[in-house]
Amino acid sequence: MLVWSRSGRMLIWAAFALVFGVLFLAPLAVILLSSLADQWNGVLPSGLTFEHYTDVAQGAAWKAVKASLITGFLASALALVSGTWAALALRIQDATLARVLGVLFFIPSAVPSVSVGLGLLVAFSHPPLLLNGTIAIVMVAHFVLISAFTFGNVSAGLARLSPDFEQVASSLGARPAYRLWHVTLPLLAPYLVAAFGLSFALSMGELGATVMVYPPGWVTLPVSIFSLTDRGDVFAGAALTIILVAATLVLLLGLERLAGRQTR
Amino acid sequence: MADAAVLPATPAARRAPGRFWIVPPAALLALLFFYPLALIVQQAFLDDSGMANVAEFVRVLHARFFLNALINTITISVAATAGCLIVGLVLGLILAFVPFPGSGVIARLIDTFIALPTFLVTLAFTFIYGSAGMLNAGLMEVFSLQAPPVDFLYSTWGVVLAEVTVYSPFVLRPLLAAFSLVDRGQIEAASVLGARPFRIVRQVILPAAVPALIAGGSLCLLLTVNEFGIVLFIGAKGVITLPLLIYSKAIQESAYQVACIIAVINIALSLGLFGLYRFAAGRLGV
Amino acid sequence: MSVPAFTGSNVMDVDAAKIRGAGSNVHFDKVSVAYGAHVVLHPLTLDIAPGEILAMIGPSGSGKTTALRAVAGFVRPASGRIRIGATDVTDLPPYERGLGMVVQNYALFPHMRVEDNVAFGLRAQGADKALIGERVKDSLATVGMSGFSKRYPRELSGGQQQRVAIARALAVRPRVLLLDEPLSALDAQIRRNMVEEIAKLHRDLPGLTILYVTHDQTEALTLADKIAIMRDGRVSSHGPTTELYRRPPNRFTAEFLGRANLLPVTVAEGAAGPKGLAKAKLGDAVLAGAGRSEKPGDRTLLCIRPQHLSLTGDEEHTNRIVGTLKEVHWQGELTHLVLDVDGTPVRVSATRLPVSLPERGSAMPLFFTPGDTSLVPEDVRG
Repeated sequence: MLVWSRSGRMLIWAAFALVFGVLFLAPLAVILLSSLADQWNGVLPSGLTFEHYTDVAQGAAWKAVKASLITGFLASALALVSGTWAALALRIQDATLARVLGVLFFIPSAVPSVSVGLGLLVAFSHPPLLLNGTIAIVMVAHFVLISAFTFGNVSAGLARLSPDFEQVASSLGARPAYRLWHVTLPLLAPYLVAAFGLSFALSMGELGATVMVYPPGWVTLPVSIFSLTDRGDVFAGAALTIILVAATLVLLLGLERLAGRQTR
Repeated sequence: MADAAVLPATPAARRAPGRFWIVPPAALLALLFFYPLALIVQQAFLDDSGMANVAEFVRVLHARFFLNALINTITISVAATAGCLIVGLVLGLILAFVPFPGSGVIARLIDTFIALPTFLVTLAFTFIYGSAGMLNAGLMEVFSLQAPPVDFLYSTWGVVLAEVTVYSPFVLRPLLAAFSLVDRGQIEAASVLGARPFRIVRQVILPAAVPALIAGGSLCLLLTVNEFGIVLFIGAKGVITLPLLIYSKAIQESAYQVACIIAVINIALSLGLFGLYRFAAGRLGV
Repeated sequence: MSVPAFTGSNVMDVDAAKIRGAGSNVHFDKVSVAYGAHVVLHPLTLDIAPGEILAMIGPSGSGKTTALRAVAGFVRPASGRIRIGATDVTDLPPYERGLGMVVQNYALFPHMRVEDNVAFGLRAQGADKALIGERVKDSLATVGMSGFSKRYPRELSGGQQQRVAIARALAVRPRVLLLDEPLSALDAQIRRNMVEEIAKLHRDLPGLTILYVTHDQTEALTLADKIAIMRDGRVSSHGPTTELYRRPPNRFTAEFLGRANLLPVTVAEGAAGPKGLAKAKLGDAVLAGAGRSEKPGDRTLLCIRPQHLSLTGDEEHTNRIVGTLKEVHWQGELTHLVLDVDGTPVRVSATRLPVSLPERGSAMPLFFTPGDTSLVPEDVRG
């Protein structure tokens, strides 16, 4: 509607295709291609093969996928409970306190992930809270880093929820617990699902804190991709990256359909 | 959690019984995040024998490796943010005002980049722009060169380009939301009156986009200062940023106090930018 | 979209008998509400009798919604007590007050079917299954929505959603039904139908006490037994609907409730006679109107409604004023004339016009009956 001439529009779309192609499409395509590349010394690979996938499948891939999925699921579930709980509880605080606490719950998203990892190492490396060297410290790191996102998502959902629903519910005789379970949480469900999906995706791709704290035997996908490429095994790294992207997308799309069904 | 949702917007009504529900999540966050954060600060000012010691802090502040990392971090962050704003604005304008069949799908595709790991882009860039990558191979073949002509990837600019790709969706997202509120009738009326596209963009669209640009831009500043994966994956000797320095001091050199000192400064910088972002977003209602 | 009428009255009577007699009175005893230093409701004392519809009307910010929310329990009074029947509910949470509430945007729970929405209150209170089923059926029948129980709210029109919202409130057999701007979100046409149907609902459930908050005077005039007019957090006037309309106690009431011409007059003779007529002077004209306790020489306002002004005189229309014709607006059913009477604009709504109207700018007499007229004191404030 801004550009009316046909040639002008074509020109602009060509420019868009260029920027989009170079910045967004090319990386994904190249990763995909390289994960299938046999030898790649020229402009294009000399041949295609599934060898890298079978290699990583025999190697650490399955363990890494499992570690990432379990970490992502547990950390996101905990973040969802804690974030929802915090967002709901903040509504019944005094306005000033609620504002201050609201900012505090957001701060983990502002701190560099490496520092979060460093802090956990410093704090939990000796009894009574000895988490260093355990799987738990990875979960904790992921939980801390994604908790702000779930809190933010749920808070945004609550802010958009008309107070009428809850007020009508209580005027009809619903006690707080009944109302929370039968009115507030169902109405928030799309936001909860979205928050869970985003947390899970962030956790799957988390590197900074994980690389600081992971114990041997709990190597997540990003960490194992890094060690593969660091060793020069870039094709295997690409294959593992494609597995990570596919897992993330399947998860996100699945959750989106779930959320869609709930709002319909 | 039973009383956790007692009526919002109630003046002083029945708040007392519910107010303690905030304690469990707040305590969890305090234990797992704020307590470690406080220990980092404490460690930064204590030497190995546990005595208060500011000298080490001052020494790190003046160290070459630290200053380089600080300058690198800021340069990369500012340049990448500028790039994100330009790319986000251009893509946003086209997606919103010169839409094409499938532009909705493209917008969502760009949006999913937010959910993908940041190092993916770096890995891809090594295949494209790396010394043995597609671009160099092509150029060497065509011009019969002996050495790869393109080597910006292992410099600051490689990191900047990767960060632009990764973080421009963070500008694009609020921008598209702002553009969806721009009155289409106004643009059509201006077009009918003979205003040229640039004039419309400048006078009608950009003013509406300013809040989104400021909020998206300050978020980009924050995220690029904190970025770790991209820098780690490029692995160039010359390109060390604060997060990478923390990692290498702590994990590779086991110099925890130095790592904590750098972390304190990095966190302070991040919190400052976070404050800027909150201020901008709150002020502009994004 | 067409809205089906409530079901036939034979069905209605059966259901009505079951719901009848649920009402309690509501008593505001010096109830005030403040947000910090900002007082939104000054001490309010008011009684709503069992089975009465009280309409609270007023401009936005007048405190009417706050008063309703105080009854519901969403706003805690800074002082005063609220009683429903014999119970002092001031310190009770909303869910223990035994009310039904209907809000402007219906607030039907989108994730529940119509029947589950209607059953909500009873389920929340732990009623047994058979009772719930029976009540849901009755309530939906009462509002003519029996055929819609399996639908989701989004599949209903606005008017239908509001019927379900009313059914949901009725299902808990509320002691008081709170209606907060219930029709404001509806189109004008549907709103008119719904007003009539709420009136019918109340005829069928005469025991139901209703507090009806609205800014629309037509809704209030059509439905209410009594009206409280709110202004700046206070009750400006309160009384039976027809009484308030015919004899507005102050200027704000006269102007807020219907349209009014208010002519500044000087009292010539205090109220006297069986009809309590006073005499007042407007320029040279001596006019008779229902008075209160005015004394000769008082300056006051003569209130006359536009539809009570006649273009022709007879034995009844004995008051006569003369004005200059300014504007004529023909609107089909009615013709609106605007005249200037001694510098005051006077509106006339005429159903029938004389064969020929005088030209604009020329003088024209107007006639009205003393009984349609009342003297209204000028407001002290503004």
